[in-house]
Amino acid sequence: MKDPRPPLSLRLRRRRVRDRLATLLITAGGVGVVVSVLAIGVFLALEVVPLFLGADALSPRELWGPQPVEGYAEPQHRWRPEPLIEGDTTHFGMAPLVWGTLKAALWALLFAVPLALGAAIHSALYMPRRLRTRLKPTLELMEALPGVVIGFVAGILLAPWVERHLAGSLALLVALPLGMVAAGGLRALLPMPLRVRLSPGWAGLWLMPWLVLVGVATLWLAPAIEAALFGGDLRGWLADTLDLDYAARNAMVVGLAMGFAVIPGIYALAEDALAGVPGSLGEGAQALGATRWQTLWKVLLPAAAPGIFSAIMIGAGRAAGETMIVLMASGNTALMSINPLEGLRSLSATIAIELPEAAVGGTHYRLLFLAALVLFAFTFLVNTLAEGVRTRLRRRYRRLEGGT
Amino acid sequence: MAVIDRPRRGHRRGRWSALLLGGLLSLMAARLPADDVVGPLGAVGSDTLAGLMLSWGELLTERHPGVRLQLQASGSASAPAALAAGTTRLGPMSRSMNEFEREAFIERHGYPPVELEIARDALAVIVHRHNPLASLSRRELDAIFSESRRCGGERSIERWSQLGVTLPGDRIVLHGRNVASGTHDLFRLRALCGGSYRVDLNEHPGSAAVVAAVAAEPSAIGFAGLNHLTAGVKAVTRRDAAGEAASPTPQAVRRGDYSLSRSLYLYLNLPPGGALPGPEHAFLELVFSPLGQTVVEEQGFVVLTEERLAEQREWLDSLPPVE
Amino acid sequence: MRTLWRRRGEGPWPWLAAGSVALSLLMLLALLLLLAIRGLGHFWPAEVALVALQDGQPFAGVAVREEQIPGEETRERLYFTGNRDLDGDRWRWVEVSAIADIRHPAELVVLQRSRWGEFHGRLVAVTGGGEHHTGEAAWPALQARLSELDVLRDERDRLRDDVVVPLVRRLDNAGNLADADFRAALAAANARIRELQSAMGDDILILESVDGRRIEQPLDLVLRAWRPNAMSPLDKLGAWAGGVWLFLSEGPRAANSAGGVWPAIFGTVLMVLLMSLVVTPFGVLAGIYLNEVAHQGPLTRLVRIGVRNLAGVPAIVYGVFGLGVFVYGIGGTLDEWFFSESLPSPTFGTGGLLWASLTLALLTLPVVIVATEEGLARVPDHQREGALALGATRMEMLTRVVLPMTLPAMLTGMILAVARAAGEVAPLMLVGVAKLAPQVPVDGDFPFLHLERKFMHLGYHIYDAAFHGDDVQAAMPLVFATALLLVLVILVLNLTAIFLRHHLRARHGAPSRW
Repeated sequence: MKDPRPPLSLRLRRRRVRDRLATLLITAGGVGVVVSVLAIGVFLALEVVPLFLGADALSPRELWGPQPVEGYAEPQHRWRPEPLIEGDTTHFGMAPLVWGTLKAALWALLFAVPLALGAAIHSALYMPRRLRTRLKPTLELMEALPGVVIGFVAGILLAPWVERHLAGSLALLVALPLGMVAAGGLRALLPMPLRVRLSPGWAGLWLMPWLVLVGVATLWLAPAIEAALFGGDLRGWLADTLDLDYAARNAMVVGLAMGFAVIPGIYALAEDALAGVPGSLGEGAQALGATRWQTLWKVLLPAAAPGIFSAIMIGAGRAAGETMIVLMASGNTALMSINPLEGLRSLSATIAIELPEAAVGGTHYRLLFLAALVLFAFTFLVNTLAEGVRTRLRRRYRRLEGGT
Repeated sequence: MAVIDRPRRGHRRGRWSALLLGGLLSLMAARLPADDVVGPLGAVGSDTLAGLMLSWGELLTERHPGVRLQLQASGSASAPAALAAGTTRLGPMSRSMNEFEREAFIERHGYPPVELEIARDALAVIVHRHNPLASLSRRELDAIFSESRRCGGERSIERWSQLGVTLPGDRIVLHGRNVASGTHDLFRLRALCGGSYRVDLNEHPGSAAVVAAVAAEPSAIGFAGLNHLTAGVKAVTRRDAAGEAASPTPQAVRRGDYSLSRSLYLYLNLPPGGALPGPEHAFLELVFSPLGQTVVEEQGFVVLTEERLAEQREWLDSLPPVE
Repeated sequence: MRTLWRRRGEGPWPWLAAGSVALSLLMLLALLLLLAIRGLGHFWPAEVALVALQDGQPFAGVAVREEQIPGEETRERLYFTGNRDLDGDRWRWVEVSAIADIRHPAELVVLQRSRWGEFHGRLVAVTGGGEHHTGEAAWPALQARLSELDVLRDERDRLRDDVVVPLVRRLDNAGNLADADFRAALAAANARIRELQSAMGDDILILESVDGRRIEQPLDLVLRAWRPNAMSPLDKLGAWAGGVWLFLSEGPRAANSAGGVWPAIFGTVLMVLLMSLVVTPFGVLAGIYLNEVAHQGPLTRLVRIGVRNLAGVPAIVYGVFGLGVFVYGIGGTLDEWFFSESLPSPTFGTGGLLWASLTLALLTLPVVIVATEEGLARVPDHQREGALALGATRMEMLTRVVLPMTLPAMLTGMILAVARAAGEVAPLMLVGVAKLAPQVPVDGDFPFLHLERKFMHLGYHIYDAAFHGDDVQAAMPLVFATALLLVLVILVLNLTAIFLRHHLRARHGAPSRW
């Protein structure tokens, strides 16, 4: 019987042609996509360049240095890019915006890093596998919560509540860690059967009602503490003794809210780093008589340190770019102060508020593009560094594993 | 009485008759569908006017179901930018356009924008309901809110004790609108004598947010449009040089007695001699009609005087007919 | 002593670590509970209290919260009193010590009105159609008339949406008004609507506030009426369910401070769908290119690192890019070339559905690329080599062997992209979301999907209602309900992605990358 299909050589040629065509298509598509994604930075840079060329070019001093301001003897940092009436001076000081971004990121990390690292350590070392596999997705859900929701809860509910219960909130910062430690101590005093039920591996769960109890007790006792230690007026004491003024929407509240959003990211990467440490290292240490915590502190953490460092950096990048939380909870005051109890203003919030009203192609418009470029460059750099560190860490693990 | 309560008794009759009138009119005229007005109706601009624009828009779509509403309200400053860039045709603003904005529009389109006055309003200086402060002079207000003190104050006022008021937190916390807002600009011009705000002013995207923030913080002071005040805050009266107190009531605003009153504007991109598209024409007809003005009252603003209304109705009628 | 302490255990640090887990979980739980309670509680009909003060008039209101008066020992309570047309305000703060008596009389009615908001008070009489009901008979008469009115309203709305609006649009598009059939149908529909209007229009309610002031309320401006103090728990449950349904299906009313979020739900879903239509093919293509086709040298590694880093770039930067390139750049050019006759009203030169979807597609592209690459890397090399050894070309190996195995990973990538995009608000503020756009971008006229229109978005609705609204305190319950809805949607999407990832790990076993 004659084979109805065309001869083998023709079929092969056709398949080869199709292969080449498809490869070409994929290459074109892939290259196009990658180029357009990477073009974001290029586009931003192109829009920013005219700021520094030509007759009204801005000097770096105008952007970053203090300028003379009406009402003050010394030059100040101000961000006032639009003139309203004749004779208005414009100030393009971006320093307060960058300061605010970094301050918010710092406070976010101050809240997030201890919690995330602690969670990573606990789940890598103590948690039974069943619980650990459930914990990771639960914390990932935390990451999925949109910034809008966290921001509005922080700005409209949390900030006034903290202001009304300032002593209680600050007391909680001290009382909760003490309560955690106390739980360990109290557990050692319990009779054996009860102690076995409350195992350290499941402590992540059974500490929850205990912490609620500690929190409620602290809030209940707070007025008494305030009366005893600060004469009933904590805010006055802060203002008089420490020269710290309090605003309801401040960096601490913003830090807490952003920290909440950033914890899952840091936790996931730190846990990956800790879990990836070759088992032989930890087992060796324990064989030599170290407790679990000593193993962690002296062996595992130093080995995983680059991974944890990169986790923190990625968290910092995420915190620097968060817009909605800062927009809603920070008061948007362009201050440059160290006081965590005062407001701040970040680059991203400035862009969100001011870009719709900036005239296209004007100085204000291009300055906002500069702000976007700064954010882009910062997060790009931080993420690249973090990724580089993680690759080296993976190589180091492989070496450690592959060796004797 | 130097303290202002929400107007109640004096307004009952006015409100009642307005309600009746509004109800009758809405029964008779507003719901009858007219069938030849169709198309998009977009507006970009003031947050203060957002509620008013929305209410007018809702009434308009009841009359003309073929109209599609699209509203953005992030602040008055977004209106000139959008009008000049061509991204919108209507731009509500709670202040008038300044020189720079007008020039930018003319540069782009070759003709000036049309300015319509749609209502009147006042800026109120508000404090927490438990704040005993009753009145402020112009200098004191300036010294509190600005760092330039152009109205003549000698020292900056940063603490409540400087005003003789005792509150749980002595530091005065400032709340106001952000730079996109016409309310922000107007307050600068009128209350700060053109000076600049203190750097620690908490900036909010909307007047309602300012009111909510002041209502939640006992040591706060802020400024917001009169129509957004709620029971959580109270308005502070203005003390002039003779010691007379002026309070932001609608009658005072109409008479021109309260110095922080303002007109609310609607800017239009209309080439000279050109006709307005159907939806915009119908919208403006509604705005200047009696029903439209009851909506103004419902939102808490102050209606225009009869002459002003008649003037603008005349202008609208003089336009070439819609095709 | 030292040995004693060492023997006791590992010291305090492990407990701090455990406590970190507990605290993180507590914060998450607290937030979700807060949203659930305040969000769902909004729809439960609250009892109206009749409060008599020691020295003044009585008033009727719903207690909202209590606070301590700053600097004193006494407390004050916030009541929602409604009746904005009578009192000038909807809220009232009362010192708890000034309250003489609180009762919950069964005859207090709450009316939801389309103008001036809620009314709390007593129903005196119902007049209309020649009838006049007072006293005990008024409430049943009101209920009866309201249900008749609902039927008439439904018919009127249906006529308007299904008959008048499409006809009017068609007339507008066609340009000529000469078609007699069209005009006749339109005239008939309008006449019927006028009939319905007049049938609805002549009922008047006489209402009295608890301090004796009376008003006349046209019934066709009343949306709903209930007597919360007289409702049984079962009635309340029914009202709650009805409230939830209305929230999901109605559009916003009263300047976004009441009503429902249907256009926002539709807008969010539509935008996310469009975005995934764009991002999935391009992301998969780029992932395939990077992993399979490109030469795996230092340049490709650099590009890969660059793409991964872009996943961490803030969303607002993408919004800035979208505004500059899509809206002002491409959109302005499109307007000049194709839509110049409607200038200066912009068509594509302003934010809209298309630009928003494209911007978010760019935002989530790295996520899809990374997920596709991970899926491709998970396919063992020996599968690829086997296919090649059997004579397949590279494309055939890809399409017939590798891609089917990667399908679950690509799906996971798409779901992750969708979950991320559903929650992003900042870029949308710049490229296309509107405060109010109650007509959804999909309707019956060609081209059925209108990409140039602005749309509403759940996340932006939260921000707008909480900060730009008319009365933040009144909008709070709505904000919570919308936040709960958004969080539920995102949680469901994420759980689907997690489940898929788990399933595919179980199916394909451990990665054999090396």
